Amino acid sequence: MNASFLLFALLNTGFIMLISPFFMSLIKKVKAYTQGRKGPSLLQSYFDLRKLMQKEVVYSPNSSGIMRITPYLNLGVLLVATLFVPVVFIPDTPAGIGNIIVFLYLLAIERFFTALCGLDAGSTFGGMGSSRLMSLSAVVEPTMVISFAALAYVLRTVNFHEMFAVTAGSTIPESPTLTLISISLFIIIIVETGRIPVDNPATHLELTMINEAMILEQSGKNLALIELAHAIKQTILMAVLINVLAPWGLATELTFASFMIACLFFLVKASMLAGLIGLFESSIAKMRLFRLPGFYMMAFFFSALTILMEVFA
Amino acid sequence: MLEALIYGAVIALISGTALPFLYRSKNARKASFSLSFISSILLLVFAGIVLYTGKEPVFPAFRFLPGLDFTLAADRLSAGFVLLIAVVVPGVSLYSVEYVEHAKGEARKDLQTALTNLFILAMLMVVLAGNMVGFLVFWEIMSLSSLMLVLHDYSSEESKKAGLFYFIMTSLSTAFLFMGFMSLFRLTGSAEFGQLDYPASLLTLPFLCLFTGFGIKAGLVPFHKWLPYAHPAAPSSISALMSGVMLKVAIYGFLRFLLSVSFPQLWWGTLILVMGSLSAVLGVIYALKESDIKRLLAYSSIENIGIIFMGIGLYLIFKLEGFEALAMLSLVGACFHAFNHALFKSLLFLCAGSVVHATGTRDIEAFGGLIKRMPHTAVLFLVGSVSIAALPPTNGFVSELMLFQAYFYSSALLDPLLKVLLIITLSVFALTSALAAALFVKVFGITFLALPRTKYAEEAAEATNPMLLGEAVPAALCIFSGLFSSRILVLLGFDLGIPDMLSLGLILGGACGLIWLAVRNSGPSESPRISKETWGCGMLGQNSTMEYSSAGFSEPLVVIFKKIYRTEISTTRTYSDTKESIFKSGTVRIHLIKFFEERLYLPAAYAVSLVSSQVSRMQNGKLDTYVLYVFIAVLTLMTFTRYYA
Amino acid sequence: MISSFLADPTFLEDMVRILFVFVLITAALILSTRNIASLLTVYAVQSLLLVLIASSLYFIEGNRTLLAIAALTLVSKVLLIPIFINIIGEKIKISRDLKFNYLEPTPSLLVSMGLILLAYVFLSGFFNEFILSKLFFMGAVIGLSLTLMGMLVIFSRRKVITKVIGYLTMENGVLLFGIFVADLPFIIEILIVIDLMILVLLTTILAIGLDSTSEEYHQRLQTLKIWSGGEEQ
Repeated sequence: MNASFLLFALLNTGFIMLISPFFMSLIKKVKAYTQGRKGPSLLQSYFDLRKLMQKEVVYSPNSSGIMRITPYLNLGVLLVATLFVPVVFIPDTPAGIGNIIVFLYLLAIERFFTALCGLDAGSTFGGMGSSRLMSLSAVVEPTMVISFAALAYVLRTVNFHEMFAVTAGSTIPESPTLTLISISLFIIIIVETGRIPVDNPATHLELTMINEAMILEQSGKNLALIELAHAIKQTILMAVLINVLAPWGLATELTFASFMIACLFFLVKASMLAGLIGLFESSIAKMRLFRLPGFYMMAFFFSALTILMEVFA
Repeated sequence: MLEALIYGAVIALISGTALPFLYRSKNARKASFSLSFISSILLLVFAGIVLYTGKEPVFPAFRFLPGLDFTLAADRLSAGFVLLIAVVVPGVSLYSVEYVEHAKGEARKDLQTALTNLFILAMLMVVLAGNMVGFLVFWEIMSLSSLMLVLHDYSSEESKKAGLFYFIMTSLSTAFLFMGFMSLFRLTGSAEFGQLDYPASLLTLPFLCLFTGFGIKAGLVPFHKWLPYAHPAAPSSISALMSGVMLKVAIYGFLRFLLSVSFPQLWWGTLILVMGSLSAVLGVIYALKESDIKRLLAYSSIENIGIIFMGIGLYLIFKLEGFEALAMLSLVGACFHAFNHALFKSLLFLCAGSVVHATGTRDIEAFGGLIKRMPHTAVLFLVGSVSIAALPPTNGFVSELMLFQAYFYSSALLDPLLKVLLIITLSVFALTSALAAALFVKVFGITFLALPRTKYAEEAAEATNPMLLGEAVPAALCIFSGLFSSRILVLLGFDLGIPDMLSLGLILGGACGLIWLAVRNSGPSESPRISKETWGCGMLGQNSTMEYSSAGFSEPLVVIFKKIYRTEISTTRTYSDTKESIFKSGTVRIHLIKFFEERLYLPAAYAVSLVSSQVSRMQNGKLDTYVLYVFIAVLTLMTFTRYYA
Repeated sequence: MISSFLADPTFLEDMVRILFVFVLITAALILSTRNIASLLTVYAVQSLLLVLIASSLYFIEGNRTLLAIAALTLVSKVLLIPIFINIIGEKIKISRDLKFNYLEPTPSLLVSMGLILLAYVFLSGFFNEFILSKLFFMGAVIGLSLTLMGMLVIFSRRKVITKVIGYLTMENGVLLFGIFVADLPFIIEILIVIDLMILVLLTTILAIGLDSTSEEYHQRLQTLKIWSGGEEQ
C-alpha cells in the first residue's frame, strides 16, 4: 500500500463512480431513440439518485439485518472491484489487487447478498428473483470463467493490471483470440447487468423480471446505493472489454495530461459501447426463461471454441 | 517435547473414553469432553511444531504380533491432518457438552460421549500410524465407532437402514484397502510406508484398489450413497466429525500412498481429476434438490470431496508434465481445501444441529424466520455459508482460488488433449462453485429469512451458550484462516503467490465503513424508521404461504438439469367415451429415479444375495459334510502345492 | 492501409482463425435455430464466411483456383440456393421447425464440441505438422467437424427443409476440407454445386408435394388407414 496506489484508488474509483450513472441514462436514451421516443435526460440517473437519497427508508417488519447491510456491502464490494480495473492509469499494484478470480468472486458476493435480500422480506417476487438469479448465474458461470481463463491464457497472467499493461502497449489486438474473447465479454456484460434478452431492466412484470424483483422491497438511500452499485458494475465490466480490445489512451504512468486524456478517451469509448448495448437491446426480444440455458450454451460454445482455437492453432 | 504432547493427547482421549463408563454422570461427561478439548490443544501445538520445523518424529511403540511393530510416526503430511483434527475437535467438544444431554436416556448419553472420544482417538491414530497394520487396525476402529454413533438412535427404522448401508459401504472400503495394502506388501515385502520406487505397471493394482477403497470412504461418486443416509441419522456433532474429519482421513490415506509413488502415470491423474469433477458437480446438483438440511449438507460434502480430488488429480498431471510450481499449488490447494472444508462443514453441521434441536424437524420447508428467533446461530450459519460458497475473504475462497489459479496458469501445458481435459474440468469446476453459492443462498434464505412456515419454527428458541461457543470456534477459524491464509502458508514454507486476503478484507471493510459514514446523515432526519408490510400486489396480511419454498427456489435448476435428475413422469388416463376425448379420471406419478441406487447398488446387492443363497446351501449343519469339505480342501491344497509352488 | 494488411500473412492467418470460429458458430446456430428464415440467413452467412476464407487463402497462397471457388460459392450458395429455398419456404408456409429427434439443441452443442475434438484426434493420426502447417491442419479439422455437424442436423431436425440445410452444411464442410487439404479440382467443385442445385430443385418439388416432415411422408405411404387421434404431430 503506497501513496501512488492510494492516489490511483481515489482517482480511478472516483472517476468510475462519477460517470457510471451516465451510461445507464445513455443506454436508456439510445433505446428510446430506436423506439421513436425522446427519452429521459442524460442526467436522469443522477437526479434519481439524488431523489432517492432524500427519501426515507422503509423496511418490512419481516426483514432482518440482511436487508440493512446488503446495500452497504454491495456498494463496498463494487468499489473494491473498481480497484481491479484501471481506467485512468495503471499503478504499481500491491499484491492481491487485480487478480481476475478475486474479481469474479467479488461480483459473486454482490450476487449472493442481493439474492439473500430478495428472500429476506418474504415477498413472492423477491424469492422468484433470487431463485432465477442464482440459477441463471450458475449456468452462465462456466462461460465467464472460460472467457477469463482464455484471457489469462493469451496474456499469460492472471492479473488485470498486468494484462492491461500488455494490451495498452500494443496498437492492434495481440492475437485473434482477443477479438473473439471480446465478443464473449460483451455477452457477459449483457448477462451480468441483466439486459435483454436475459432480463428486462425496464419492466416490473413478474414474468420477466429478475434483478428488479429482488430490489422491490428496497427504498430510499438503500435503493440509491444498490442502483449506484449496479451502475458501477456495468461500467467496470465495460471497462474490462474496452481495455482488452481497445486500450488506447490508458496511461501506464500518471501525469495530469495523461490522466485527462485517459478520462476523455474512456468516456468516448464507453459511450460508444453503451450505445452499442442500447442498440443490441433494442434489436432483439426478451427470451423465455427456460430458453436462456440454450443461449448460455451458445455463449459457452463460443468461448470454448475460442480457447480451443488458442490451444490447437 | 513432541512425545509428551502426543502421549498426553492420547492419554486424554483414552481417559475421555473410559470416564463416562466409570462414573456415569453428567459431570463425567463434561470432564470427558474437556479431556478431548485439552487433547486437541495439545495436538494443535504438536502439529504446529512439526509443520513449522519439518521434524519427522518416530515414536517407538509396542509390538502386538511377532514381526509386526506398531509405530507412531509423523511428518508434515500427517501433521497437516493432525492440525485438521485439532481445529475441528474443540468446537465439537464444546458443543457436545450441552448437545449430548438432548439424547434419550442416560446410557445413550454415556455411550455417545465415550464413543465420540474413541472416534477422535481412532482418527488421530490412523493419521499417525507408521505402518499399514496400524493403519488398518485403527481404520477399523474408526469405522466401527462411527457406525455405532450412526446407530445411536437404534430403535428407529431410519437409523437401522442408515447403519446397515454405512456398514456395508465401510466394509467394502476396508476390503479394497486390505487388497491394496496386501498387494503393496507382496511387492515391497514390508508393511512400512516408504518410497515406492517401482515401475507404475506394478503399482496399477494397488492404485486401483486404494483409490476405490479411499474413494468409498471419502464419498466419491459413484460410491457416495452412504453419506446422505448416515449423516441425517447420526447426531449432529458426529456428523460434524464424520464430514469434517473422517472423510479427510480417507484423503490422507490416499495422499500417503500417492505421494510415496516415485513414478506415477498420467492416466492416474486423469482418472482422479475426472472422478473428482464428476463428484463435485453431481454432489452439488443432488444437494440442490434436497430439503432435508443434514442430507443436503452431506451432499455438499460429496461436492467438496470432489473438489479436493480434483486438486490431487491436477497435482499429478502438472507434476508429470514437469510443472513443479503448479503441481505444488494444486496439492497445497487440495490440502487447504480439505482443512477449510473441515472447518466450515463442521460449523454448518453444528448449526444445523442447533436448528434441528430447536424446531424438531430436519425439513427446511418447515423453517423460516429463524434469524429473529435464533440470531446468533443465524450469524454463525451465515459465516459458514459464505465460506462454503467461496466468497472472499473467507477460507473457502482461498482454496478454490488456488485451484482456479493453477488452472488459469496451465496455458504452458503442451499436450493439446490434456489442455482440453483441463478446460472441460475447469468449466465443471466453475459450474460447481456457482451452484454451491445458489445452494447456500437457498439453505440460508429458506431457513433463516422471511416468516416462519410452521409453528415449530415460530416457537424455536436460541441455542444455549456452550453450543453457540462450540459453533463460534470454527466460525472464527474460518474467518481467521481466510484473512491470514497467505501469511500462514508462507509461514509453513509455501510461497505460492496467492493474493493477500487480509489487505483485501481491510479494503472491503474500509469501503463499507466509508459508505456508511458518507450516507449516514442523508435522508429526512425527522422519521427515524418506518416499517411497512411487504408489498403483496395489493393483498394485505402477508403470510408464510406466499413465500418462496425450498422446492420452488431450486425449481429452475431442476428444470435446467432435468436430464441429470432423471425424474420419470408416468400418467394414466381413463376416458368416458370410446374415442378418448372426454377425460374421466387419471393419475400422475412423478418418480425421482435414484440413478446410482437403482442402477448400480441394487443390481450388485441382488447379485451378492444370489451368490450367498447358493453358498448357504452348502452350510447344512451336518458334521459329515464339513469333514467332507475339509477332506476336499486338503486334497486340493496338496495338488496345488505340488504343481504350482 | 488495407493493402498493407493484405500483404501481411500473419494478419491474414489470424483473420482465417477468427473466421473458423464463426463458421462453427453458424453450424451451431443451424443446429439450434427454430425459425426457418433465420436458418437460411445463417446458412448464407456461413457460405459467405467460406468465401472470405477462400479469398484470404488466395492472398496467402496466390492460387487462382481459390478465387474461382470463392466466386462460385458466392454466386451459388450465398445467393441462388438461399433464394430457391426461400421460395420453397413461402410455398409450403412453414416458418418454424420446433421439434427435434434424439438430441435437443443444448446437448447437441455439447455433442458438437465432442465432434470437434474427435475430428482433431482423428486427423492428427493422419497428418502431422511436417505435412500441413497448423493453420491448414486446423482448416481440415474444422471442415471435418462441419461435415459431422451437418450430419447431426440431418438426423436431429424434423422438417425436410431443415434437413436440406443440414445437407448443405455438410457440403460446406467438404468444401472447407477440400480447400485446406485435398486441392479439390475445380471441375469437381462445379459438379458438386450443380448437384446441389438439382437437389434443392428436387426438394422443392418433393417438399411441396409432401408438406413438412418425413414422418408425415411415412404416414402417407401407409395410405390413410384409420385416423388415430391424439398422435403427436
